[in-house]
Amino acid sequence: MLLTRLNHLIKIFLILICFGLVSGCATTQTTAGDPDPLEPVNRASYSFNDTLDVYLLKPVAETYAEYTPELVRDGLTNFFDNLAYLNVVLNSFLQGKIDQGLSDATRFIFNSTIGLAGLVDVATPMGLPEHEEDFGQTLEAWGINEGLYVVLPLHGSDTGGNLPNLATSFFLNPLTYVTGVVLFPLSAVNIINKRANLLEATNIRDEAAVDPYSFTREAYLQRRQYLIYDSNPPVEGYDDIFEGEDGTAGEESGVLKIE
Amino acid sequence: MRALTISIKHFIAVFLLFYSACSPAGEAVAVVEELHAALLNVMQQAEPLGFQGRYDTLAPVIQSRFDTPLIAKVILSRYWDELDEQQQNRFIELFKRLSIATYASRFDDYSGESFKTISVEELKKGRQLVKTELISPKSKPVRLEYLMHPNEGNWYIISVIADGVNDLSLKRAEYAVIINDKGFDNLIGELEKKIQELGDSSPKS
Repeated sequence: MLLTRLNHLIKIFLILICFGLVSGCATTQTTAGDPDPLEPVNRASYSFNDTLDVYLLKPVAETYAEYTPELVRDGLTNFFDNLAYLNVVLNSFLQGKIDQGLSDATRFIFNSTIGLAGLVDVATPMGLPEHEEDFGQTLEAWGINEGLYVVLPLHGSDTGGNLPNLATSFFLNPLTYVTGVVLFPLSAVNIINKRANLLEATNIRDEAAVDPYSFTREAYLQRRQYLIYDSNPPVEGYDDIFEGEDGTAGEESGVLKIE
Repeated sequence: MRALTISIKHFIAVFLLFYSACSPAGEAVAVVEELHAALLNVMQQAEPLGFQGRYDTLAPVIQSRFDTPLIAKVILSRYWDELDEQQQNRFIELFKRLSIATYASRFDDYSGESFKTISVEELKKGRQLVKTELISPKSKPVRLEYLMHPNEGNWYIISVIADGVNDLSLKRAEYAVIINDKGFDNLIGELEKKIQELGDSSPKS
């Protein structure tokens, strides 16, 4: 059973690597003339995901958030974040951040043991902060850029260059190797809890956005750049969007172009 | 000798005028901190003020501290020049109201939050980037960076970047889609609807 699943996943992994590398060779969307060449397909996926979210996932997550004590939600968030953290540890090392990698590995060990299998984040107060690293950021550090913006059904926003991260995070998550009756409820709680944690963000988006698709795309891509630069993007270029504000604004912007 | 004295006086006067034009009165950081103080004020009194009270309290600060005409021009980008003056003014006015309504709606409670100024960095053309943090006891700090622009002796906020996401770029992308697909009048309609919704969705005092 497990082998069949792994076999299937290896195929997905290979497809994703090919997709990721091909798109990784393309110019990153934030600097290309066309910000979103896959827009028609992406919009279709977005619409599919949105419908599923509006009619199923969001109502379930809202009910869950209403009836679940904050302490329990925090514990579950810590637990699932900790399970996913091996991917962060690996990518910290792959990016050559040895000190950060050691800190991340120690964080994982402490939270998994004295943190009661990850339910309590004991590491942050000990000076071992949580980092956000993934395989897309690693590829970027190796000179392979993010690639095109993509929206995948059931997954959401991503970039071509980050798609192999779906595979690394899958294989490095201990949940992948859980079988039997626990797998389904655990995965379901993970998904619902994650969606519940995003309720505030999506409510802000719904409140602010006049075109939620472009809003989500721009926010996602800017956030990716922010993560790639470890929350310290170079200040040069910050005000490029104001270049020639006498009427030719944004012509040289590296952040966004409207063609 | 007298001629020399007059010319020195002229020189000093011209220098001071030039200097004041190049170095706006006050610090860019003071403008950001004034906005933060106003936000903290409405957060702490969110309930008694209600949406309209928060809107009225924030309006003078946002109107005087954001360079909305410049922001509007950058947001509409190449579409700006296609509009007549009346349409441009209509958009500026509406965008001002949308900004105030968004702040009034979002900063609607207080749980011990505070703002902290981290640093100020010089950018080209005399602009500055003021880096700050919104610290909340319950969640991770949010990095708020303000792009500041000197204009006629004063500093103005022209862009706010929250955890790496620039609100201005989001709006530029969105509004371009609406104008492209449905036209400028439709965008105006959408913005009016948004302003209305922001007021409606906030609990009344």
